[in-house]
Amino acid sequence: MPTTNSILKKTGLSMKQPADAAREQAVEVRFGQVGILQVRLRTTQPGEILDELTGKTATAPHFFDRTPVCLDLSSLPKLPSADDIRGVIDVVRRAGMMTVGLAQGGTSIEELANQLELPVIHHVRASTKSAPVVQPAPPVTTSAPESAAARPAAAPIEVRASAAMARASTQAPGADPVPELAAVPPTLMQTQPVRSGQRVYARNRDLIVTAMVAAGAEVMADGCVHIYGPLRGRVMAGAHGDTDARVFCQQFHAELVSIAGVFRVFETIPPELAGMPVQAWLSGDDLKFAKIGE
Amino acid sequence: MTEIIVVTSGKGGVGKTTTSASLSCGLARRGKKVAVIDFDIGLRNLDLIMGCERRVVYDFVNVIQGECTLKQALIKDKRLETLFVLAASQTRDKDALTSEGVRRVFDELVADGFDYIICDSPAGIEKGAHLAMYFADRAVVVVNPEVSSVRDSDRILGLLSSKTQRAENGDGKVREHLLLTRYSPKRVATGEMMSVRDVKEILGLDVVGVVPESGDVLAASNAGTPVILNEDSDVSRAYEDAVSRLLGETVPLRFIEEPKKGFFARMFGG
Repeated sequence: MPTTNSILKKTGLSMKQPADAAREQAVEVRFGQVGILQVRLRTTQPGEILDELTGKTATAPHFFDRTPVCLDLSSLPKLPSADDIRGVIDVVRRAGMMTVGLAQGGTSIEELANQLELPVIHHVRASTKSAPVVQPAPPVTTSAPESAAARPAAAPIEVRASAAMARASTQAPGADPVPELAAVPPTLMQTQPVRSGQRVYARNRDLIVTAMVAAGAEVMADGCVHIYGPLRGRVMAGAHGDTDARVFCQQFHAELVSIAGVFRVFETIPPELAGMPVQAWLSGDDLKFAKIGE
Repeated sequence: MTEIIVVTSGKGGVGKTTTSASLSCGLARRGKKVAVIDFDIGLRNLDLIMGCERRVVYDFVNVIQGECTLKQALIKDKRLETLFVLAASQTRDKDALTSEGVRRVFDELVADGFDYIICDSPAGIEKGAHLAMYFADRAVVVVNPEVSSVRDSDRILGLLSSKTQRAENGDGKVREHLLLTRYSPKRVATGEMMSVRDVKEILGLDVVGVVPESGDVLAASNAGTPVILNEDSDVSRAYEDAVSRLLGETVPLRFIEEPKKGFFARMFGG
């Protein structure tokens, strides 16, 4: 479970001190949103995959050429070995696409990703509709698009456009992500007070606390954090980098607030916020606070 | 049905042993069969406060390690016939305590028909404190109206809701009660000390009693007589009220207001 320190290191953002003058940095890390193709595998047989993929890429060769894809292993009958996936990555490359990661799916996927030296892509919201949503290139032969459309339902792979939380600064050319929520687990509901020294973490979802968060406690979520009670401890929203995450609380006395790694420590609470209902959000690289209702 | 009550706090020196002794006497005075057990292995003091330090032959660790029977180790109180004390070992350390051993002792006490088992926890959150709270049905968390004590009690409340047998089995929560000790209404009035309301707000719990700061506590320790047995003391009355509330009665809080001086007292000082 991420701690404050590991989140901040992971996102690689430098601490945002309020009154610092800008300094030239060797590297600037920014969050961008990118459309990424998700290739959901139903088999790891290279032959079948290559057939299917070349069928699809023929419908729009420019779109698919060197396009980044993320492999979704959740529909496979059993967990593949790293070698199986290396075979898949090879044929994916031969079809013109480049595998840049594995779609999240628990610790077994994380271990596989480690062995393959690939990242795990979180928050992949994929369209439920199959087929690339781009302008098709003029078909080379008339048979190619027909054969792609006539594929039976049990295709070995499914290619879907999706908006992932992976980071890049440019959009894939012609990509038109159709974000629609894939199965997202329900919000984590915490009804008991979170006491000093306790830590609550809502992985891949929002967190709602309907009691108090005591001084010395930590509440964290990959999504938003809502606290319907006094907040006297530390809160971290967007723990895996979601810059749209927000923090809402009923009575603001927080020790620390962090969104997507950008944090602020409160040695004293500004009088206009102390004890009030407050929301916090990220605007660019700045953490903003305001009374709720203003 | 035997109830196991742990008296704990996190912070040291706030009045756990004083409270364990007084609550045990208060319950025994009402006819309940009570065993009070010192979990502070190596730094025992419950026997001193109860006034039976010269009668300790066998202790808690002896029982756990099978060196004697429970009956041989339990010390019957001279003043109250349904009250028994189980002293801690002074020579061993806390590693001698085992969860299994504590469970066996409790099972035997339950079989013996005890109504209440009061566990006097050591300070801290290590093994002794953990075992004292592990089998508890209820907890009396002793708090001084002071920032470190409140913070430590918050931590203890967190542990009570997660690291106890009830929490692990999903058996219903350990019932939590706050007992505010060393309270001085005068200092609260000048703003030096946290008030009952401040403590309730930070910890999110109602108090089961407020015990005023008083020299009577030190006198009681020296005499080996639990302070609740001192009829003339406000501390005694406060502990009596707490016992009533623990038994389910509704009693208004006393000793939270500065005592108003009468006309003559104001005229002639004092």
